[in-house]
Amino acid sequence: MSWRPTTLHVSFLTLAGWALFLGVLTGRADLVVVAVPLIAALVAGRWAAAPPALQIHHEVSADRLFETDRVTVTVTLRADRPAPLVELLEPLPPRVRLERGCHHAFFTLRAGEEVRWEFVLRCEGRQRLRLGGPHVRQWGPLGLAAAETRYRAPQTVAVYPHLTPLRHPPRPVRTQTFAGNHVSPAQGEGIEPGDVRPFAPGDHVRRVNWRATLRLNTLHVTQHHRERNADVVLLLDTLSEVGPAGATVVDVAVRGAVTLAAAYLARKDRVGLIEYGGQLRWVKPGSGRAQFQRLLDTLLDASVVFTYVTRDVDLIPPRILPPQALVVALSPLLDPRFVRAAGDLAARGFDLVVIAVSPVAPARAAVPRGPVADLAARLWALERRAQLDEYRRRGLTVVDWDGVGPLDAVLATLRRPHRRRVLA
Amino acid sequence: MLRAAALSLVAVLVAFPLAVLPSPPVSWLAGAALAVAGAGVVARLVPLVTAGGSLALIAYALALVIARPEAGPVAATAFGATLVLLLALVHFAGRVRGAAVGPSVIASQVRQWLAIVAAGFVAAGALTAGGAVLGPALGGTPLPVVVVAAGLGALIAVAGIVVLVSGRKNPPAPTGR
Repeated sequence: MSWRPTTLHVSFLTLAGWALFLGVLTGRADLVVVAVPLIAALVAGRWAAAPPALQIHHEVSADRLFETDRVTVTVTLRADRPAPLVELLEPLPPRVRLERGCHHAFFTLRAGEEVRWEFVLRCEGRQRLRLGGPHVRQWGPLGLAAAETRYRAPQTVAVYPHLTPLRHPPRPVRTQTFAGNHVSPAQGEGIEPGDVRPFAPGDHVRRVNWRATLRLNTLHVTQHHRERNADVVLLLDTLSEVGPAGATVVDVAVRGAVTLAAAYLARKDRVGLIEYGGQLRWVKPGSGRAQFQRLLDTLLDASVVFTYVTRDVDLIPPRILPPQALVVALSPLLDPRFVRAAGDLAARGFDLVVIAVSPVAPARAAVPRGPVADLAARLWALERRAQLDEYRRRGLTVVDWDGVGPLDAVLATLRRPHRRRVLA
Repeated sequence: MLRAAALSLVAVLVAFPLAVLPSPPVSWLAGAALAVAGAGVVARLVPLVTAGGSLALIAYALALVIARPEAGPVAATAFGATLVLLLALVHFAGRVRGAAVGPSVIASQVRQWLAIVAAGFVAAGALTAGGAVLGPALGGTPLPVVVVAAGLGALIAVAGIVVLVSGRKNPPAPTGR
């Protein structure tokens, strides 16, 4: 922090110099007198007391929130001695909009006075929002000199992707051993009726199917399917990225992944995550709120990291990618390495659903509008549709999502095979 | 609001030379000063206002040289005080643009400006009184000596101000609670 003369200081000196020079040149005392108020102001600026020490307290209302949520920044300022003019400026990070108040303010403080300054920010995109604290500038008399510093109070706010309700997540074909919401092919305790079989010793009387018993003249019971949970692994493609910052295909895919994770965890499933990109990162399947938080934190940092190294899905341990798991891949299908990896998983018998996030809309948002761009976008969309049809012909389950409409509407049209074979 | 006040100060500033001598060369210079300083006020640019102020000062000097009126220390001090207020106001308007400013800030700044202008008037009065006392004593001094002494005095004054203002100490940094 150091004093520095401002442009006003230079202006005063210039005009005082001019007045004195013209006074000497013309021999008029009036012009020397004109310089006197300017010199008096400069001297007053010099003789002003040193700026007081400021006590600053900087806090934010939340450290975790979702996209489009608001965070209130509060700065409390206190001076032990009078501060004639204090300027505070909190630089706004990218993808943050000022919702209420002002992030730039001026205050005059009396001795011991405390002022409270508040403004509300709206977080527009997934990020780790870093608010480093305000820039503080104290102005001397008339603004002839200024002393500035940065009050450092690094605070990070995790802005998680926006969560939308999902009623129709892809139904897993295979289930696991723990209780859940999916109807299992295995027979046992449950509420979903299955087959009817002859009564056997040990069967409960309330299981007797009286209609079948009357028709067949022997006691028959209704079997039920068990309700079991499933393992779901979200496979996120971070090999390629298209679109403007904050609205790329990776951002759209992350939004979809969070929505799917929340929907499956609400159904008592175990959800894991694999980020397939320059960095191969994963989260072991698990359930509950802690797992959701783990997934959110991992998805927050999902980004494209360039690398020449191609990592195979063979590297992923089986505990991360269980053989019975439903794999939901979210990808723009722009990088052939991801397409190859998805094909490998399908060929190995994994229950795979590919949600193809369309890169056309984000790419259109990143380039200026024009007839050529419109034509290119239409051609690209047609080419992409043909490409997805080709993948479907190869046996992949592919759902096309433009990233603009709700994911639920897209997934509602997905037809999944029924696999309710009766297990002894 | 601030800009309107600054524009009225620009009008007052260019009125000084015209009040001394409303002749064509002074009017042209005053018009140029009005245009440049007015543009500086609208754009909140202190260097432009300084240029306009310099033009007004030259116009004032020209008017004094041509008209050769009696020395008027009050009008000269008012001219200097107007320059101080104009520059301070434009600089302040530029700083607070787009920022939240409380009424106490404006009141405090106005008090400060008026105090400094009052100090300028007192200093000008003291200088004038000192000049009036010393004038008869130095009445017989040859003109070249007076000019050299005045030039040296002006040079020393400017150099002294530069040294005084640039020799500030660093203030303490703000602390967290």
